[in-house]
Amino acid sequence: MKRSVYAVLLCGMLLAGVGVPAWAHHSFAAAYDMTKPVTVEGVIDQVRLTNPHSWFVVDVKDSGGKVTQWKFEAGTPSGMLRNGFKPNVIKHGTEVTISGFHAKDPTLNVGMLRELTTKADGKKYGMFGPQEGPGAQ
Amino acid sequence: MKRALIVLMAAGAVALLVRFAPDAVSLAAGQAGQRGAPNAAPTPAATAPPEPAPRMADGKPDLSGVWWNGGDVGSRGLRGGGARGARGAPAPPSFTSLYNAAALEKAKTLNDSHDPTLRCIPTAFGTLNVSLYSVGAVGQIISTPKFVVMLQETYHGYQLIPTDGRKHREDIPPAFRGDSVGRWEGDTFVVDTTNFTDDTWMFAEGRVSFHSDALHIVERYRRVDKNTLEIEATVEDPKVLTGPWTVPKQTLVLAPFDQIMALNCSTESDSVMQGAFKSIAK
Repeated sequence: MKRSVYAVLLCGMLLAGVGVPAWAHHSFAAAYDMTKPVTVEGVIDQVRLTNPHSWFVVDVKDSGGKVTQWKFEAGTPSGMLRNGFKPNVIKHGTEVTISGFHAKDPTLNVGMLRELTTKADGKKYGMFGPQEGPGAQ
Repeated sequence: MKRALIVLMAAGAVALLVRFAPDAVSLAAGQAGQRGAPNAAPTPAATAPPEPAPRMADGKPDLSGVWWNGGDVGSRGLRGGGARGARGAPAPPSFTSLYNAAALEKAKTLNDSHDPTLRCIPTAFGTLNVSLYSVGAVGQIISTPKFVVMLQETYHGYQLIPTDGRKHREDIPPAFRGDSVGRWEGDTFVVDTTNFTDDTWMFAEGRVSFHSDALHIVERYRRVDKNTLEIEATVEDPKVLTGPWTVPKQTLVLAPFDQIMALNCSTESDSVMQGAFKSIAK
């Protein structure tokens, strides 16, 4: 029985994680493969609050010590800021886990950001920030 | 086998709950709260009568303010704005449902990858670029004695709408957002827009919705109280439509801040984006 409960939760979480968020607009669907989730753990190199969309650049080290740089596209800077994103909180050196969807071009280490978690305090950010500013009402 | 089926069904239910519960909460909260207050929970202040619309020196309603659908893109508070209608309600007649035979044939040759907004070409339509017919979440109106200025955060666009009775300009090139003139009919501000280019679509998000250079949009803005702006519109395009499209009424609310930001679009400024976007049709 216990195993079934875990199976339900696991299947549910997997199903819930598939598909384009209703508010993720068309350009994301055009550029990213929503059937290919990706999760990386690494250290932020830079956060670029650029228009039309922001980017999180993260260095990911494998078990052999080799560092690969990944880039994750997030929401518009204006929307992120109004949803409570604070510049300079996540910055160069911040340890994070980022999950999202891989670019349709499989040769690129590029993804669409779905959730970012900071290792130090476990705080979660969505594509449009932490949902606690005036825009997140 | 039966047990596996039950597990699968339960998993589906969990998935649906996880995906749609926030929307359901938001919708219910929005219905409970006073119209015009983007916050979900009703408060004593929210049950008070709405304050009247402010007025200009000439007595006309002052449309100035930052207007949105009650929340930002990606936020829990984002409301439908009236354009989409209540959940479960039949879809209103749309621009493309009025396509004539030639337009229907042309539409068959296009798909979402041809969406001009993917190349940073803005839509022709979408009040303040806030409505669900377009993209964007926030727009700003600045009313002056001679012009009403509408600023669109997304695509960083604007419309300068003279209110002194002048006619449309005849000596300017067609534009993505056309050329607008305004007039007051009582407390309703009527905006008449013509002279559009034909290389935009009406809507974003991959919805095939081309129009012609004969596009003509008449919008009617009414600030019904301090926090509420209602917009109705009629769209004509005799080259591609069989008749005028009456746009469902949209209702925007005053945002809790008084200044929009810049949200220009570029696919050229970032090599990473260019790479990620190389699947987009040119």
